[in-house]
Amino acid sequence: MPTEPIREYADSDGRYGVVQTQYARFDGIQLESGFYLGPLTVAYETYGTLSPNKDNAVLVVHALSGDAHAAGKDKDGRIGWWDAMIGPGKGIDTDRYFVICSNCLGGCKGSTGPRSINPATGKPYGRSFPLITMSDMVNVQRMLMDHLGIDCLLTVVGGSMGGMQALDWAVRYPSRVRSSVVIAATARLSPQGIAFNWVGRNAIYSDPIRACGDPDKTALREKDGRGLAVARMIGHITYLSEDTMEVKFGRKRKLTDMEGFRYSLGENGTEDGEFEVESYLEHQGSAFVRRFDEDSYIIITKAIDYFDLEGQYGSLTNAFKDITAKILVISFSSDWLYPSSMSHAIVKAMQANKKEVAFIELDLPYGHDSFLVNAGIPSMTRIMKGFLNGVR
Amino acid sequence: MASADLPEIRTPFDEFEVGFNIIIDLITPGTRVLDLGCGSGTLLQRLRDEKDVEGCGVELEQESVIQCVERGIRVMKLDLDDGLGGFPDLSYEYVILSRTLQQLMRPDLVLKEMMRVGSKCIITFPNFGHWKVALQYLIRGRVPQCSTHPHPWFNTPDIHPVTISDFRDFIKEIGGKIEREIHIVGNVPREDAFWANRRAEWGCCLISAV
Repeated sequence: MPTEPIREYADSDGRYGVVQTQYARFDGIQLESGFYLGPLTVAYETYGTLSPNKDNAVLVVHALSGDAHAAGKDKDGRIGWWDAMIGPGKGIDTDRYFVICSNCLGGCKGSTGPRSINPATGKPYGRSFPLITMSDMVNVQRMLMDHLGIDCLLTVVGGSMGGMQALDWAVRYPSRVRSSVVIAATARLSPQGIAFNWVGRNAIYSDPIRACGDPDKTALREKDGRGLAVARMIGHITYLSEDTMEVKFGRKRKLTDMEGFRYSLGENGTEDGEFEVESYLEHQGSAFVRRFDEDSYIIITKAIDYFDLEGQYGSLTNAFKDITAKILVISFSSDWLYPSSMSHAIVKAMQANKKEVAFIELDLPYGHDSFLVNAGIPSMTRIMKGFLNGVR
Repeated sequence: MASADLPEIRTPFDEFEVGFNIIIDLITPGTRVLDLGCGSGTLLQRLRDEKDVEGCGVELEQESVIQCVERGIRVMKLDLDDGLGGFPDLSYEYVILSRTLQQLMRPDLVLKEMMRVGSKCIITFPNFGHWKVALQYLIRGRVPQCSTHPHPWFNTPDIHPVTISDFRDFIKEIGGKIEREIHIVGNVPREDAFWANRRAEWGCCLISAV
């Protein structure tokens, strides 16, 4: 199957225009762990206009490394992570719907997370930030909906970790969601998923300077952060597919004018990547260090690891028994991190409860990240438009 | 199911009006209907609009699945030959298998699943017993190719040709009961047509468990 080159996010035009991130402030939240976290800030953006009846609100939930900036351009001209899907006339049409996206709890893009100041110490929480769960993230979103005066969401839509939350919304707040779109997600993180997250966190833990436990390490960030870069590289491998890598990189090498291999690890044995796939990962890793926080990475991947509706409710069938929302489950044939079979397990448990569930496995070669890449956008757009049209 | 790249050169699915009309007539308004191999959802859309039916489709071909969603039809992208494992017993009043029976790898297993999931089943299929079909084989000694079986033998989705007589025996064998038989003869629907096995192009049966 022909595969076009993959970018981190799909090309887009920022058609919605300039948007500004807003902040909602709350006293605090009781976490599932029992810990009380406060004060609490939630960074969010909105697009479109809330209808007088407040019945056209769509909550978009980001994945592990996303943020509240989902569509339009920010003041620096940076285009939102799902701008290809959100905007006037797009899959989630901002002329019709009021779209909300917030940075998750524990994140590093404006919502309360490890970089926030711990009122008890006057210093950033760093690694002392309390462990959180998907449900905690969802509860914070629910507080934001209360803040915005939205009683019932038309749809909650999210991919990967966002899909877990879209599912959790339908499970725990049946009266507050009319539908959920669960993309490339699972109801229970697999041991393989836990393993990859564990390796990623271990890469961070083995960073020598981080090991000193100093929470105020902004000055050191540029200097190392290799652990986080390695964690991101591992993550990136799991988001792609073998097919995509073959087509995009093959065995191409960086210095194409050179005959044969370099037969050298570089100066002082500091290898900088001879194959293109290596330099791609290197680029992804070092770019991530500049825009993400390693402690957020730890906190969020732990929350993903904890996600297990099956364990929490005894069985998936039991977990879904109170759902009233229409559910659309979308998976990708080439996703080996959260394979289609995991989505199908969600669907089967919904069916066992005779819930209104639809299931689409899209045949796309781009792996777990298919919902974010150019080639996935046309199909996803048609599906989102059609599905949202039918939600009342 | 059969190769998806094969063009359907029978009456286009969306224009199979006679067959669809028969099915729609058989269905009680306001019921739950599961349409297996639902294509782009034409039949389910008509059932929703004309009979206020709560429908769900099963389809394997991606473009058709997306078209279903665009039409507001609830759909599952599944392979029928994998069974209907996720569907609870008797969760639908009707399960429809329209023009797909002869394309299944194991029609017997799918039919049993249909009878488990639905109170009643409606099946339409091209009749391989039609005299024109038989004549091609008898006189010319060739694998028949005609309007109901238009593909050459070496590349056809119709891997299990079946006649109306075969179908009656088959339903008995898998423990079902044919409640009504409607045949399409010369593109006209007839209830229990005379000499149907030789005259009808299509068979359409309403089936229940014994």
